[in-house]
Amino acid sequence: MKLLVTMLAVLGLGSGLALAAVHLPVPAEKAAALDRLASVAITDSNVEPAAAPSLESRPIPGQMVGSDVPVPVSPSIVTVRNGWLVSDGKTLVAVYAGAGGSDPAAGRVVIVRQDLIAGRQTVRAIDAGPTGALTITAAPLGSAVETSAQTGTIRLRTAGGRLLTLDVGAGTVSQEPHTTRLR
Amino acid sequence: MRLLAATIAVAAAGLTTFSTAAAAAPAPVTAWYMYGSSSSELKSYAYARGCDFAEAQPDSSIRVLLLDFGAARKLSSSTWGAVDFSNTRFSNPDILAALERAADGYHNCHVRGGVDIVYGNSNYHLSGSGMSATDAWYAGYHQASRSEDLSDYQRSQGYDSQTADAAGDMEPSWDGPSITKQLVAGNEAQGWALEYDFGSADGCPQSGSGNGPCNNGWHVGDVGYVSFHGLALPLPEIYYTANAHQWAVVRKWWDGNQGGDYFFEGATASTGVGLTPAAAWNTLDSLNSGRVDTQLVCFGC
Repeated sequence: MKLLVTMLAVLGLGSGLALAAVHLPVPAEKAAALDRLASVAITDSNVEPAAAPSLESRPIPGQMVGSDVPVPVSPSIVTVRNGWLVSDGKTLVAVYAGAGGSDPAAGRVVIVRQDLIAGRQTVRAIDAGPTGALTITAAPLGSAVETSAQTGTIRLRTAGGRLLTLDVGAGTVSQEPHTTRLR
Repeated sequence: MRLLAATIAVAAAGLTTFSTAAAAAPAPVTAWYMYGSSSSELKSYAYARGCDFAEAQPDSSIRVLLLDFGAARKLSSSTWGAVDFSNTRFSNPDILAALERAADGYHNCHVRGGVDIVYGNSNYHLSGSGMSATDAWYAGYHQASRSEDLSDYQRSQGYDSQTADAAGDMEPSWDGPSITKQLVAGNEAQGWALEYDFGSADGCPQSGSGNGPCNNGWHVGDVGYVSFHGLALPLPEIYYTANAHQWAVVRKWWDGNQGGDYFFEGATASTGVGLTPAAAWNTLDSLNSGRVDTQLVCFGC
């Protein structure tokens, strides 16, 4: 039966499993789960729509993200020193500052953006050059900035103590002009 | 012709086999970091992500919808769950309810193909949060149980185009190998759900086939364990060419020391990094020819 399921899956009969060119033996402990995966259909027997939950979107006030809060971005991209997060309930921006995953001398910032209504998510790594690890030292906080801060500025400090500015909206890091004001 | 030959080979061998991919990158599908400030909001977003995924599904194969709920956590003496990326703690019942809404959303917006809806978490600072190795084992066990519960829900609703599994963002830099392995061991003990490892081989060597050191006291063999032991399947993060080389070393080590036939379920990619999603999959495949299946999940696509 297991063989039949596999052959049907290979042939694409009754399942949407991707077709294959090469085959490897499956360890016994994974066989049942992979057979289950291979047996998934591509239509539902239930044709009635499910009840949709009401759309609920709660803002997240601008807040710093400490080391006790999980980081979504892999350490192979950035070794995070700290982060910052804000959401107006429709769009969300999270910024993680630190150093390049394979180069601790390279300052790097990663910006995660989510459009929770349109269903889009972007991840962007921004390099600041040989600055050492970057740390966020000042960012818009609180509930008054839930929308405005998403295109505002954040102050960064390099490992050597130099101050930089991250334009969150543009996704650029620059030397901090004396007139920079955190919005 | 290749398909026919492969099918005949399967029949002749009489073996359960794993189908690996043709050598062309599949279209990427979106994976999501889950940020939420309440269980009702989490359900609302999960429903929307299921619907978005179905509407955008690029082909009629079975694709992985990976929802990353954050770090595995013990929330109380008898409650497990996760702390998400906005520092909100969600119990497994909260997460299961959200996953069920993702299943509803996929069903309501289904266009083509099927889906494996995956409860993702990570090994981020397990020890630092006070969890013991036993706690991590139970976290893995209960995560797999919730995946099976989701499958029960899908079947009860007639969602035949769906199934469910688990996943872990296993990052060497985030916690030690011993406690991280317990997540996989607990999942294996529960015995039902696949556990995709969408983590990294952070700091591991980029050449050779030995049990070289990785970050944070890990070795290549530890990465092999969390990605392929028991019900684990590798869906590794390939953001730079170096990552693909690291995972080729893991595969070679496993094949040389654990009996062979390590394969990848696919790759995890991202936008805004060194490799495009297609390049990530192609690079992994080029170093592990015939051993990379057609999943390509992408954070940021």
